[in-house]
Amino acid sequence: MDRVVPHFQEELEALQSRLLEMGGLAEERVRACIDALESRDLGVVAQVMGGDEPINQLHIEIDNRCFRLLALYQPMATDLRAIVSAVKINTDLERVGDLAVNIAEAAQRYTTHPPVKKLIDIPTMGTIAQTMLRDALDAYVRRDTALAHAVLNADDQLDALKTQVFRDLLTYMIKDPVTVEPALDLILISRHLERIGDHATNIAEDVIFMVSAQDVRHHPPATHERA
Amino acid sequence: MSLAIHTDVKEPAETPAETAAVENKVSVKRLNFYYGAYRALSDINVNLLKNKVTAFIGPSGCGKSTLLRILNRIYDLYPNQRAEGEVLLDGENILSPKQDLNLLRSRIGMVFQKPTPFPMSIYDNVAFGIGLYEKLSRAEMGERVESALRRAALWDEVKDKLQASGLSLSGGQQQRLCIARALAVRPDILLMDEPASALDPIATQRIEELVYDLKKDYTIVIVTHNMQQAARVSDYTAFFWLGKLVEFDRTEKLFTAPAEQLTEDYVTGRFG
Repeated sequence: MDRVVPHFQEELEALQSRLLEMGGLAEERVRACIDALESRDLGVVAQVMGGDEPINQLHIEIDNRCFRLLALYQPMATDLRAIVSAVKINTDLERVGDLAVNIAEAAQRYTTHPPVKKLIDIPTMGTIAQTMLRDALDAYVRRDTALAHAVLNADDQLDALKTQVFRDLLTYMIKDPVTVEPALDLILISRHLERIGDHATNIAEDVIFMVSAQDVRHHPPATHERA
Repeated sequence: MSLAIHTDVKEPAETPAETAAVENKVSVKRLNFYYGAYRALSDINVNLLKNKVTAFIGPSGCGKSTLLRILNRIYDLYPNQRAEGEVLLDGENILSPKQDLNLLRSRIGMVFQKPTPFPMSIYDNVAFGIGLYEKLSRAEMGERVESALRRAALWDEVKDKLQASGLSLSGGQQQRLCIARALAVRPDILLMDEPASALDPIATQRIEELVYDLKKDYTIVIVTHNMQQAARVSDYTAFFWLGKLVEFDRTEKLFTAPAEQLTEDYVTGRFG
């Protein structure tokens, strides 16, 4: 009884820690590019733009680990769900890394113009997106479906803020056409942050599937409220 | 050879459509089984569905082969073995003392782990069982033998050497010959006790493809230690542990999201 397959278990744990490492990197990059936008620090912007390589390497390594585990052990039940979820979470985290680069690119352009306004909603969106990402990864580690459901609920806030940012900046653009270019970059950034929230949502959905075998994707919001 | 992967998407069992479509072929009710004083099976309740493949899985000694042996009453051949409860085949209790055992065994064919061809020609191996139950003319017998060999996907390989010894065939061919022999008496149910565990991967794949084809006409039960095989070939899976039925569900459900922790531990290799 209770004879755990040692190699498989070790490899599964290694997979999980690599995935968390990748999550940490992705989260850090989102934080860095928002900081750079606020501080107009082109050095940090350049760092974020050039620093996607570690995440890309992990993306490939994690995929290879998943392939290996599936091919060699043909896992079942919770182990199967854990690995399939890891494949999907891996893709989401890689996309978050790419979006951080996109934000940094927009921030770089934005910095060449005078500021359109004091940034309030975008840093808030950045904080929410980071929190969602962190909570989704915590939920993965702790196998905590309640926390995963909380991530799904937080996404609505981010969507609402994106709409608000757009309306707000629209008034500036109408008043003064000189602001169109920088304002469009801010709108793009809010759109990227909203996408990061969507990836965190995907991760949370995968966690719920991994833990409870329940598929909560593409359901009306009501389903998300059973946190 | 085709490497067909059967991915017919199934609706969840609880939808009315599926429940209505499947028909019980065998109903096992409150079944206990004893080897002398030792109780090998306790209070088993399970239905085998018509034209479906049901896999029995579980660690050695869990009772899965015992249950298979009850279904055609092979245990009757041994003293001190007895069953309590009911096993209904199309509503008739086959555990009843009034059950005609020859008739029962013609309706429920069995294939064993090791191929067991008789030391006679390929043709006679298949014709042997038919001769026990029916008097056929030579021409009718020839047709029946050919049809059984075709059904077992062996005909093309042996049609030019029907008088060669059954023992001259390869292991995989011998196993398909045994399946042909079981099918020749036109059973309703085919019981397979680890039918591919002594075969190489290619012969195994042929047996699995055959199981998939045969379920159109037969109700099949397969005992296997190979969980990937159970997952590939069966529609329903029953997990046994220490003489009890722990979980019975659609195979897809049992291997991806089992309801019981014991099943989870077994299919993920955390004990066994």
